[in-house]
Amino acid sequence: MNLERLPNEEKLTLCRKYYLGGFALLPFLWLVNVVWFFKEAFMKPPFTEQTQIKTYVKRSALGLLFWVTVLTTWITIYQHFRAQWGEVGDYLSFTIPLGTP
Amino acid sequence: MDLLSNKWIVYLALCLFVAGVSCNSVENKIYVKLNYTVPCVRLLNSTHQIGCQSSLSGDVGVLHVLESEENLDFVLRTGRNPPYMVIMESSLFTRSVMMKLKNGSGRVAGVAVVEPTSNPPNGFSPHTRCPNENTGVYSENYGPGLAHCNTTKWNPLGNGLSYEEFDFPIFSMKDDNDTQLIRQCYMDHNRPVNGSHPQYPLCAMQLSSHMSAVTNTPTCMRRNSINFSMSNEMVCDPLSDQNIWAPSKPLNITQNGHKADESVIIVSARLDSRSFFSEIGPGAESAASGLVTLLAAAHALRNATQDAQLDRTIFYTFFHGETFDYIGSSKMVYDMEKNQFPIDLDNVHSVLEIGQVGFYSSSNLWLHTDPVSMRNSSIQKEVKDLIANLNSAAVGLNVSVKEPGVTQPLPPSSFQRFLRARPFPGVVIEDYNSSFSNKYFQSMFDNADSLNVLYPPNLTPEEQLNHVTDTAKSLAEVATMVARALFLQAGGEKTQISSIKADELTVSRMLYSFLISSNNSWTQEIVAPKDIVHLNNNTVNFYISVEQQASLPTILAKYLLANLTGSVVNVTQENCRNQKESEDDKESKHLYNYIWVQGAALPNSTERDGFCVRSTVRWSRAISPAFELENYTTSEYSTWTESRWKEIKGRIFLVASHDLEMLTLGVGIGVLLSSLLLTYIMSSKADILFSSGRETTSATY
Repeated sequence: MNLERLPNEEKLTLCRKYYLGGFALLPFLWLVNVVWFFKEAFMKPPFTEQTQIKTYVKRSALGLLFWVTVLTTWITIYQHFRAQWGEVGDYLSFTIPLGTP
Repeated sequence: MDLLSNKWIVYLALCLFVAGVSCNSVENKIYVKLNYTVPCVRLLNSTHQIGCQSSLSGDVGVLHVLESEENLDFVLRTGRNPPYMVIMESSLFTRSVMMKLKNGSGRVAGVAVVEPTSNPPNGFSPHTRCPNENTGVYSENYGPGLAHCNTTKWNPLGNGLSYEEFDFPIFSMKDDNDTQLIRQCYMDHNRPVNGSHPQYPLCAMQLSSHMSAVTNTPTCMRRNSINFSMSNEMVCDPLSDQNIWAPSKPLNITQNGHKADESVIIVSARLDSRSFFSEIGPGAESAASGLVTLLAAAHALRNATQDAQLDRTIFYTFFHGETFDYIGSSKMVYDMEKNQFPIDLDNVHSVLEIGQVGFYSSSNLWLHTDPVSMRNSSIQKEVKDLIANLNSAAVGLNVSVKEPGVTQPLPPSSFQRFLRARPFPGVVIEDYNSSFSNKYFQSMFDNADSLNVLYPPNLTPEEQLNHVTDTAKSLAEVATMVARALFLQAGGEKTQISSIKADELTVSRMLYSFLISSNNSWTQEIVAPKDIVHLNNNTVNFYISVEQQASLPTILAKYLLANLTGSVVNVTQENCRNQKESEDDKESKHLYNYIWVQGAALPNSTERDGFCVRSTVRWSRAISPAFELENYTTSEYSTWTESRWKEIKGRIFLVASHDLEMLTLGVGIGVLLSSLLLTYIMSSKADILFSSGRETTSATY
């Protein structure tokens, strides 16, 4: 969808929808929010709704950062220690590699 | 025009077809596949994994033919092109060489061992020095000074290689054309000339034997049964097969548990063996000698047990899986304790076990007893009676029996599992006193040659089948002695024992069938039609393996026992197959087992003259009770499982140096990037580059 052709109010509602949607454990929506509306929020000449869009983009970026750290930490711990967790590791896993602990 | 394009399409299709069929030859030009690949596989028990593992797509290493143990230095330290794939003769397949390779830390990609044509003269046994030391009867609570082979090492030549864990594949190869090709490839490309290091391209081999299971049995059984995993594939299977048993007089098998007024003498032998490599398990002395002797003794007693009224029933039993912590005998004792077997432990009067008896002819036969249970005076009296019967039976034969003079434990034997349940009088017959006379215990060299089953040259297979070897004669003597002793033990009259005699020709034929070729005219007559396909022309593989495969030793033992102890009855094929003697017969199947066997070939026709054999032969599942109880961490029962694998293959090819590979990759990436750059430049300057000389009349939009 080309943001150029949307009126500003619709841009604001779209940004707000993506921001609220990300709270449903969907950090990808926040990523899309940040990437898509970055130009609108920080690089375009100011328009009325821009401050609101700016806050939404900033908060989405914060939430994204939080999710990235949490997921990276968990994935690192899991990949490193799954072999040592034995039974718990097996029950947590979706696919277990063959032939290696 | 249409017709012409049709023709071209047809030509194009033909060209593609021909190219598709013959384009595989590119792979053939690069790789030479190995035809005979026997890997060592991974086995797991409750705490460890043993055996070998390769990486998922196979391990690649530069070939190196190992000349001596000192040459290992080249592989482990000085060679410039690690990792190496080591090829060695079996004389170098020793514990010190393999341990050094095991600690080779990434410089060893795999090992291939070339099978020799004759057995190594000094003996070789990859099993442990004290077989089954943790699942026998001796422990801290029972004969503490006798446990863990403190008094005598049963297998002194054992180097324990079968129970080590290797993280590279180890294959066995025959000394045939493929191996010659490998040696030639090594000579042409890899051999260091005059001290200089060999240059690329080098000859390399890839061995692939990726095992799915890992860590130990509880882990792999858990992974077998995880419910919510996406692809639920089995990673390991428990080692299991069947125990074969036959009472000398019919027993009603529908009633399990204690049978009133039944006193049973269990006479047993083992059905299995193993070697370091998975599909090789000739087991001539460790399994076949005892097995054939017991079958011959059962045959010798056929008429005597039917004519005389004996007080006790003789129970011929063949246990499978005894190599792996007594799988078969522990299962049968467990069934008897849980009243899931036609008799129970109260019915058992005494136990006689036939162990390894093949080397008897050069020395005595030894009667081993358990010193701990013999402290009980009633048990001691029974054992002395049994030994006296054995001595009486040996009178007049070429057999001499002795008891070991010192207090020593029982050798590894199924009888130990019976003693774990409660004290029984029992004797284990072996051809050794304090350590195995078998120099090749549980190895691939325990074959017909090591047992001296030799035939004169230039005999046809049929003549070999009927030739009575010296080993057969001595085993027949042992069988006669065992049969007579059993007759006396069962309450028979001493005067009648002289008529009990084992047949040397039958023993020879059995030895031939187990050790030389199981597909011969005799076995084809006595086996049922549906199992004929399992007979092959090689030595029988005694490894227990997992349950899916119809195990050849079990099949042969079943049919041999049925034919040798049973009788031919005049029953139609259909009734025979339905386990009845006549249309309305509903009772016979509880007492007898009916088998329709193929019979002799009719002259001038492919038809066979089949007949029905009625016997008391039965079989029961031989799987460790640990798998029924689902307690995989137990130390009481065997917990051995075998890993599953996807494919086993090997191939050889030439490899280029790593630098050349990287250079090729770099050049390719460079060409890609430069072409992308060129295209971008050309497209952005397209109007300058592609403007033609004439003025273009641009269309107005």
